[in-house]
Amino acid sequence: MELLIQTVVNGLIQSGFYALAAIGLVLVFGVMRVVNFAHGELVMIGAYTIWFVHAQNGVPYLITVVLAILLVTALGLLMERFLFRPMTGDPLGGLICSIGMLFILQVIATYVGGEGPSKQVPPPFEGTLVLMDSVRIPYQRLFSITVAVFALGILWYFLTRTKFGWAVRAVSMDREAAALQGISTIRVSMIAIGVGAAMAGLAGALMAPLTNINPHMGHNVIIAAFIVTIVGGVGSLPGAVIASVLYALFHTFVTTYFSGTIATISGLVIMVLVLIVRPTGIMGHRVSE
Amino acid sequence: MTPILEVKHLTMRFGGLLAVDDVSFSVNEGEIRGLIGPNGAGKSTTFKMIAGFLSPTSGDVLFRSNNITNQRPSRIASAGVVRTFQETTLFQELSVFENVLIGTHKQAHTNIISAVLGLDRQMQNEAIEATTEVLEFMGLAERKNQLAAELPLGLQRALAVAISLAAKPSLLLMDEPFAGMNPEETRHMMELTERVRESGISIVLVEHNMKAVMGLCDRLVVLNFGTVLDDGTPDQVRHNPNVIQAYLGGG
Amino acid sequence: MNNFIPAKFRPVLFLLLLYAGLIVLPHFLKYHQQDFLIFLTINILVVVSYRLVTLTGEWSLIHAVMMGVGAYTSALISKNFDISFWITLPLAGVMAGLVALLLSYPLFRMTQFYFLIGSFAAGEAIRLSWIQFIKPFGGTGGTSAIPSPELMNIDFLEPIPYFYLVLIVVSICVYLLYRIENSRIGLTLHAVHWKGVLAESVGVNTWNYRTLAFVIGSLFVGIAGALKVHYIGTVAPKQFDIGFMVFILIWVIVGGYRTFYGAIIGAVVLSVLDEILRGVEQLRPAIYGATLIFFILYLPGGLESLPQKIKQKFRANRESAT
Ligand SMILES: Nc1ncnc2c1ncn2[C@@H]1O[C@H](COP(=O)(O)OP(=O)(O)OP(=O)(O)O)[C@@H](O)[C@H]1O
Ligand SMILES: [Mg+2]
Repeated sequence: MELLIQTVVNGLIQSGFYALAAIGLVLVFGVMRVVNFAHGELVMIGAYTIWFVHAQNGVPYLITVVLAILLVTALGLLMERFLFRPMTGDPLGGLICSIGMLFILQVIATYVGGEGPSKQVPPPFEGTLVLMDSVRIPYQRLFSITVAVFALGILWYFLTRTKFGWAVRAVSMDREAAALQGISTIRVSMIAIGVGAAMAGLAGALMAPLTNINPHMGHNVIIAAFIVTIVGGVGSLPGAVIASVLYALFHTFVTTYFSGTIATISGLVIMVLVLIVRPTGIMGHRVSE
Repeated sequence: MTPILEVKHLTMRFGGLLAVDDVSFSVNEGEIRGLIGPNGAGKSTTFKMIAGFLSPTSGDVLFRSNNITNQRPSRIASAGVVRTFQETTLFQELSVFENVLIGTHKQAHTNIISAVLGLDRQMQNEAIEATTEVLEFMGLAERKNQLAAELPLGLQRALAVAISLAAKPSLLLMDEPFAGMNPEETRHMMELTERVRESGISIVLVEHNMKAVMGLCDRLVVLNFGTVLDDGTPDQVRHNPNVIQAYLGGG
Repeated sequence: MNNFIPAKFRPVLFLLLLYAGLIVLPHFLKYHQQDFLIFLTINILVVVSYRLVTLTGEWSLIHAVMMGVGAYTSALISKNFDISFWITLPLAGVMAGLVALLLSYPLFRMTQFYFLIGSFAAGEAIRLSWIQFIKPFGGTGGTSAIPSPELMNIDFLEPIPYFYLVLIVVSICVYLLYRIENSRIGLTLHAVHWKGVLAESVGVNTWNYRTLAFVIGSLFVGIAGALKVHYIGTVAPKQFDIGFMVFILIWVIVGGYRTFYGAIIGAVVLSVLDEILRGVEQLRPAIYGATLIFFILYLPGGLESLPQKIKQKFRANRESAT
């Protein structure tokens, strides 16, 4: 019973990371129709920033988190300007550019961190909250999920209550119609990738003390983000959040009772099944050709 | 004699919109049958259902008494029902010759072994001959090496018809072949259409150009808001007050 | 140009010279360069088979995994059941083709973006299964001690004989793929790509043709996979990961995907570049990434379009000069 509760708790905490990571993918696809394969690497860069600036050079954790967000946002904006904008209207071209970017970011990480084993960051928040005898939540995890939920809340407000958010949603519904209404699609693209990258940077910064940091960690992130995006419905933010919770719970359970690889395999199979039965996911709208 | 095509109680619903509502008509062998009606009456939708590009909500399509409802378009085409598209639809990136050559698929498709070993050479040569014939028939022979995208609009429409003729249909569904043509091109296309019929192909013609419709068609079906308003010879239809009303009312 | 040789014979002469060169070449190379030549030759089959898949317009991300399916099939059967390489090599192709056939049903219900992601997911699921199911696949480390081919007394552990073997098999496969592309089937695949609905309206079953291209492309890349692992002696999931898939994409894009030769040019030029970059191991992926971005942004036609581009530029300059 307690293992069960512990697993649910772990799953819920994991879902925060998935949601943060997937949001950017969903936003960028919705607005620009580009699958950003380098999105996992943005998370990786966020984590590396924590390792390098905070763990190696002693800058306080919270300041480094902000720094990671700013750095990754800047990276995202650069990608928009120099890769995705010239490739507007060519989804395959944009995708391929992002793959090129993926390699470049991995090499940068390798240069900063050197080869060798994965890096670890000692948790800045020590101690563990003991709920029951064997249900424990380290304060670091508690911090991460709180911040993640808070960030998602802000994003929610931004997208539903502000003019910018309205423009972002209008463009992801129908790019041409939005442009006709005088919405600047370039501006909206910049906002989408900026917000998405900021969330990715935050996800990396929050994950850093809890995971192994290496140049290839983006791979698992992007797989999870893909699964969440497809299952939730391409272009649907609420769908992505719901799917994040479902998938994180599912993944944590299967990992606890079987193995992490089986969990990922089943996730991928579920994703293919969703693609077959309902390509638009559980909440998405059909993407116009 | 049984009709070559029978459409029975065909209905298509898009969400709340009844685009085609219980439409029935038939086409006789060797006939040019007109399908007319104001914009949005459901003509193209009817064509798509006959040719298998849309699954009807209900109703049946019989071709030579065989039920072809819900079959794959390629299968219906192989059986002999070939449609053209309302918007000019060509293989823009390929030459005129290749465009028509692809149309000969039914006669020339091959399996991988014969393709690799060249066992299908005879068949491919016949397809090339057939292509040349169709190109000459449609007056496109001198243009055969040009890219389809480079043709003037009138000839692009002729090429679209050429592609479907190369598929050797018994029934040709033509969706507004005269759209955008000048009087000279229209006259030429009317001649060609007449000659297609003389070569033994039955035709259903969707067209807004009344001169062409009245000049070519043996019988007309008039659709309005998805339902059949009238069915008869051009002369009968022309004098039906309801039809006149529909056209005037619809603008 | 040279007028002594009639145009008809030029390709023949070119091929004769090419093969003469390829036969003597390995004798002048160092050991690791001979290895390189073998892998390059195999990679040519990889890109040419990928080209067949992309002819219908769908860029799959599962080709590398299909290569792995062939590799694992041949490696495991020959090792565990002591069956000759000469039988497992075609079996590798058949197995990859069968897996492709099975996958085509779910995958081809998707197009474009969905197909891309779907093929990636399906491939990743297969590849993770090789890691998960240690029996029979061998887990992350894979399986080693894969027997090498046996024929008379030839020692196929040596690079030069193995290179000749690879050269023969790859040449046959590439020739077959060339014949397919230039046959009626190739024309139909183009038609399916450019206007699927129009092709369908004249009787082309687009589903079947997409499946055909996918199955045949996978079959040949399965053979390439077997060729590779019987030389290395080890088969492991890492060899067929998304990283390798990206290399395939890069070769095709940098070479150019409009003609049959483009992908081959891409594979050769980039592999040679790769050899030269051996000194800066760490930087290699970044150079690849930058090359990819450069080509997609500034030379989307690939290397093959370069002569044409230069010619046009030259003409434009001359015209503006007069
Ligand atoms: N795929 C679809 N989804 C929803 N509505 C559709 C779809 N296709 C057609 N319609 C609607 O069905 C109705 C009939 O359309 P259809 O194209 O059959 O008209 P038509 O008679 O061919 O008109 P036109 O003369 O302008 O070509 C129209 O109101 C159209 O908007
Ligand atoms: Mg219409």
